[in-house]
Amino acid sequence: MPKKSHILTQPPKTRVLALGNQAIARGAIEAGISVAAAYPGTPSSEISDTLAELSNVYNYYFEYSTNEKVALEVVTAAAVSGVRAITAMKHVGLNVAADAFMSAVYIGVNGGLVIVSADDPSAHSSQNEQDNRYYALISGAPMLEPSTPQEAKNMIIKAFDLSEELQEPILFRTTTRLNHSRGVIELGEIRPQNQPSFKRNPRRYIPVPAIARKRHAIVLEKLAEARKISEDTEFNKIIEYDENNDYGVITSGVSYNYVQDAMIWLNEKLDTLKLGMTNPLPEDKISRFLESHKKVLIVEELEPYLETQIKRIAKERGIKTEILGKFEGYLPRNLELSPDKVVVALARLLDKKAPIELEKINNTINKISKSIPVRPPVLCPGCPHRPVYHALKKVFGDDAVYPTDIGCYTLGIQDPLNIGDILLCMGSSLGTGAGFSITLKDKSVVSLIGDSTFFHAGLSGLVNAIYNRHKMILIVLDNHTTAMTGHQPNPGIKAKILPQSTKPVKIEDIAKAMGADYVKVVNAFAVRQITKALEEAKNVNGVSVIITRGACALVSAREKRKKGIPKIPFEIDYNKCTKCRVCIDEFGCPAIVWTDKPWIDPILCDGCGVCAQICPEYAIVRRR
Amino acid sequence: MSETNIIIAGVGGTGILTLSQIIANAAIKEGKNVVIGEIHGMSQRGGSVVSDVRIGDTAFGAIIPTGKGDILLGIEPIEAARNVYRIRKDAPVVLNTYEILPPIVSFGKQKYPEFNEIIKLISEFSKNIITINALELAEKAGSSAVMNIVILGAAMKRNIIPISYESVIETIKEYFPEKYRDMNIKAFKLGFEST
Repeated sequence: MPKKSHILTQPPKTRVLALGNQAIARGAIEAGISVAAAYPGTPSSEISDTLAELSNVYNYYFEYSTNEKVALEVVTAAAVSGVRAITAMKHVGLNVAADAFMSAVYIGVNGGLVIVSADDPSAHSSQNEQDNRYYALISGAPMLEPSTPQEAKNMIIKAFDLSEELQEPILFRTTTRLNHSRGVIELGEIRPQNQPSFKRNPRRYIPVPAIARKRHAIVLEKLAEARKISEDTEFNKIIEYDENNDYGVITSGVSYNYVQDAMIWLNEKLDTLKLGMTNPLPEDKISRFLESHKKVLIVEELEPYLETQIKRIAKERGIKTEILGKFEGYLPRNLELSPDKVVVALARLLDKKAPIELEKINNTINKISKSIPVRPPVLCPGCPHRPVYHALKKVFGDDAVYPTDIGCYTLGIQDPLNIGDILLCMGSSLGTGAGFSITLKDKSVVSLIGDSTFFHAGLSGLVNAIYNRHKMILIVLDNHTTAMTGHQPNPGIKAKILPQSTKPVKIEDIAKAMGADYVKVVNAFAVRQITKALEEAKNVNGVSVIITRGACALVSAREKRKKGIPKIPFEIDYNKCTKCRVCIDEFGCPAIVWTDKPWIDPILCDGCGVCAQICPEYAIVRRR
Repeated sequence: MSETNIIIAGVGGTGILTLSQIIANAAIKEGKNVVIGEIHGMSQRGGSVVSDVRIGDTAFGAIIPTGKGDILLGIEPIEAARNVYRIRKDAPVVLNTYEILPPIVSFGKQKYPEFNEIIKLISEFSKNIITINALELAEKAGSSAVMNIVILGAAMKRNIIPISYESVIETIKEYFPEKYRDMNIKAFKLGFEST
């Protein structure tokens, strides 16, 4: 059992433990992809990581694109030219790519194109809980939703077939509990790739208004064709039992797993319509299922997407079956589902006593929470962002407003740094910074963005700030990686994981070329250097760009481990320590713990030494 | 009982996902069905992390239903306490004594309870608590980094996890690069023999 993605390179028929995301990547490879492109985003990231790692082995092209829109454009052109292509993104990534996505559905494809959307109910790693199934309705793209890693692998191969049959991109919608669950999958044969060919056809591929109107009609025709497929596909299946025929369940995605768990829990078997193709819905099959039951519960995560449509179908066809779901309060519209929530809903449907009481469980959780401290995620020991935030607090403190952005550095909002005032989406620190610079004349505006996010969505915001002469400081926290999503490369560094060569682009060169009024690169671990640059930028009447450069602690620790360089922790010299608490209250490294005096946990300490720079008594020293 | 539900709770970065994969791969070796639920991304940065491992033919979803956990592996004391309500009454709780103080405790805003208070809290749900000084044994094996494997050893001794001792040893051998192999096997054995 070799580690990581290499488990996926074993011969067909091998059964391996795979992450849902690895199963999706392997499925795409088995389907015979030629091109893949993606920007990482939790919970989708391991799809792109796996595709990146294996591109050399299976001879397809993979790139980390600068953002989801670019990635979707890359794969659309590949699929228009006849080869199979895939992109994967987190739910909010599809917002970024939405413009391209809408048109991709209009112009259609020749080779199979699959767009994976990884939704994040409960917002484990996201700024919202949006339900991307509605993107299928807006765009007219057919949609598939798997329940398990094995089904995801099978289904994605079928998604490519479906895409080629309909000449339309397929939306492949997953949720966190599929992406980040592991299960057993059986590897399959790898199909040959398509040969690329492109025949000019501007009257299809360039949706000027006259063409767009025609293509929209074609999208609707294709949907009608897809309806027939949806009626017949094995992915929309009715599971019938001999007992309890009055009641039924309609479900999709991971909710199906919870329905199975809940039925075992209740010792009940209810007929189930499991939907795997959820746009367009199999209206005849759904009608037949409704008609043969008196009461049907719809079990789905987030919005009442299925429920609304199923109620519409029932209304149109005069079906009197009682349809129950979110609107009747059986299940919530927010947060992810769980076997607990589903078992309670099923018991209520059956008029049985539930084996658990959700309120009681919540009370227990609250009671436990009161006796133990919370442990939210924090910036790691040795993180290059902490010294920057420490310096910001010293130089600006409350005299600045801090628009922040998406990445590990968002965690600067935690105690004791408390840096971060507004966040909308990738790249928003620039636009919101501009807005505050108009309204808050008595404050400095200090916008914070990571290197990967800067390339993703910061460029046009920076041009805007420079062009419109906003007075603001942009700090680019450059840790040479896309840290939060698992250390993928970005355009600032070489993509060592990929077989093809890449040409890194320097952030300071971009800032200078755009015409920023002050550009400075500083060492992210040198507090004095950062402070000096901030003092200088404070007096600039225009846009300042300070790039704080320092490797992500997790990456440098890994490299040190590989090279056999030992990590030497720091310790407190208690002869000098005056217990002033600066290291705790102004720096807040998780490796420095206060009981009745500060103590550096040698297991957690990264050895970065920044605490030694900020200690006013010089009481922090490297261990010998 | 046709499924075994294992809850692994601790702090991000201390080998929780590694542990769940070792258990799962050992189970697959024995031809068993496995489902793991885990969360990646932001929560991993020093935050509370929990992984659910389900072994058996009736394990479908990636989340263990509340009250159906068969064993709890507490890699950190308060993280074990945070999840203890999810186990069956008196299911074994393997509890590491090594405490990682959340920064909020250092800031003086919340208190980290005394170890005996944690025990008291856990014993409301299970009287079957096995405390283990995993740090001491891990350092004996070669590094504090293998505390997780020590705890797996202690958990295996409880005869709840339906995989054999040999399968775990075999999986550890395959999972880790050669230079860390012996250390992890030693850690596992020390944990197994400790209780």
